[in-house]
Amino acid sequence: MVKYLAQRLLLMGITVTGMVTVVFFLLRLIPGDPAEYMLGDYATEESLAALRAELGLDLPIHEQYVRFMGRAFSGDLGTSVVTGQPALAEVLASLPWSAALALAGIVIAIVIGVPLGVISAVRQGSWTDLGVMLVALAGISFPVFWVGLVAILVFAHELPLFPALGATSSENPLTRLHHLALPALVLGISVAAYIARLTRSAMLEVLGQDYVRVARAMGVRENRVVYRLALRNALIPVLSVIGVTFAWSLGSAILVEAVFSRPGLGSMILKAIFARDYQLVQAGVMVLSLAVVLINTSLDIVYGIVDPRVRTA
Amino acid sequence: MPDGHKPADYALDVRNLRTAFPTDAGTIAVVDDVSLAIRPRETLAVVGESGSGKTMTFLSVLGLTPPPGKIVGGEVLFGGRDLTKLSAEELRDIRGPGIAMVFQDPLTALNPVFTIGAQIVEVIRAHRPVGVGEARAQAIELLERVHIPDPARLIDNYPHQLSGGMRQRTLIAMAIALRPKLLIADEPTTALDVTVQAQILELLAELRAEDDMGMVLITHDLGLVAKYADRMAVMYAGRVVEYCEIHEGFAAARHPYTHSLLRSIPRLDGPAGEDLAAIEGQPPNLEALPPGCAFRPRCFLGSDRADCAAERPALLPTGSDAHLSACLHWGELAAGGGR
Repeated sequence: MVKYLAQRLLLMGITVTGMVTVVFFLLRLIPGDPAEYMLGDYATEESLAALRAELGLDLPIHEQYVRFMGRAFSGDLGTSVVTGQPALAEVLASLPWSAALALAGIVIAIVIGVPLGVISAVRQGSWTDLGVMLVALAGISFPVFWVGLVAILVFAHELPLFPALGATSSENPLTRLHHLALPALVLGISVAAYIARLTRSAMLEVLGQDYVRVARAMGVRENRVVYRLALRNALIPVLSVIGVTFAWSLGSAILVEAVFSRPGLGSMILKAIFARDYQLVQAGVMVLSLAVVLINTSLDIVYGIVDPRVRTA
Repeated sequence: MPDGHKPADYALDVRNLRTAFPTDAGTIAVVDDVSLAIRPRETLAVVGESGSGKTMTFLSVLGLTPPPGKIVGGEVLFGGRDLTKLSAEELRDIRGPGIAMVFQDPLTALNPVFTIGAQIVEVIRAHRPVGVGEARAQAIELLERVHIPDPARLIDNYPHQLSGGMRQRTLIAMAIALRPKLLIADEPTTALDVTVQAQILELLAELRAEDDMGMVLITHDLGLVAKYADRMAVMYAGRVVEYCEIHEGFAAARHPYTHSLLRSIPRLDGPAGEDLAAIEGQPPNLEALPPGCAFRPRCFLGSDRADCAAERPALLPTGSDAHLSACLHWGELAAGGGR
């Protein structure tokens, strides 16, 4: 188990380093100069050169990279050129907003997706099955920003059940939840569609297994067969996909945050890219990939709890 | 079945059972007019190649025909009731306490993510109003009955931690958990090592005697089960082709298919180096059975007889009521033409 964990940690380090490296070089491929952006159109050549020297932008790119990595390992991700604040602090300030959205989205996705998938599988070929799968197909096909706009139109404008703005400065947790509800639902539904389809196919496979036939042959009630004996097996592949889905929903969160004018990691990174705020983008991506890797690792551990064969392997 | 017996004479009385699957080529009867009866405390061996309908017959008995297959005719009499007419819930009450089944592959027949104890408890609690603690105590007793060593410890093991033989014992423990009147064992030893096969058959015989059960041993290996069975039913292409006392079958089989099956059993007392007699031709294709007797193309008595091709021979008494054969020319076999 210790060896397993050590392996996982090492793998995590490599993944995050790789991610940040890719982002570092990609950013520098985007045309545009942060110094020009900061100093505006009327900056003189001298002041631009001075700022570039200060930011280290005049160094060859590989030296910039070594410098950046060296500092990153000591926890210094640089300073945002736009706000002048430490990049890491900026990122950590917007992290809770995104975490709340993604987490609420995933919870909603599981709560809706898994039961729908199970019902669909149990009634394979029925109208219920067809209906659920059609809705799921629509949920996957419609882009999340479009669903978001429709949701605002219907549930905030026509039927004013929820605020159109996805965030509030209020300290009241109920008000905050009320503002979170619609964006989370929009994010959750698109993921739910995916989870429902996956649960259905996993469930169909498990329901065809010998041990399900054995349980039925021993007169175990159908509800027990489906919801206890079969479901736990079917959840194994679903679980592994939830980790991937989480990364995906952090990506969709950028769109949802934009539609609902909600602060968060996604909208922060988006603004930083437009401003060529290299440090902020790098810090944001590093924290994001760390979060995704952490979640996948913890899911691997949950995996071991659900599936005893993994534990001893 | 031999008329003149009342249904009560049998633990299970299957009459003219037909189970069919729709296919592109039309409906195929995988179980075709099968009649079988098992007396209380009797062991019946059901023998045949893969695809002969032996497993499907007993899945149909339990109402577990895999969709889209379904029972299209016949009766399954058990405890004075026709199981084909029962509701799903009534049938569920029969499975376990009435008829229980042990399946072929103990590797796939146990749920990989539950301990064996949890799986036995699940079966007990499906039929008895007992708590988990009480059910667990019963499960330990059951594991003891199937000779699993140190059951109090092994009960918390997962299937993948046990050997094939242990897993099959676990499945048998599950099957006898509710003291069924009839135990159906579907190729219970096929997936096991040769050394373990005999142990499992011994165990089944022992439990059958202790609990006064009737037992069905489904097998493709007649030689293996001969010692444990009282009667045998030979199935071919969805039908019963011979039905008799097991020693009669061995001494004087009255269907050429049975003859061929017996000749394909390797014998230790036979001459060394002798080739095994394989049955000629291909196993029957249910989608394209020849007219008349389905075994005709592979029959050593000759495949070109007009009467064999005319219609499918019925399963009829041959000499005595206790020995049935679906061969028109059984007389030639009885005269010693077979071996």
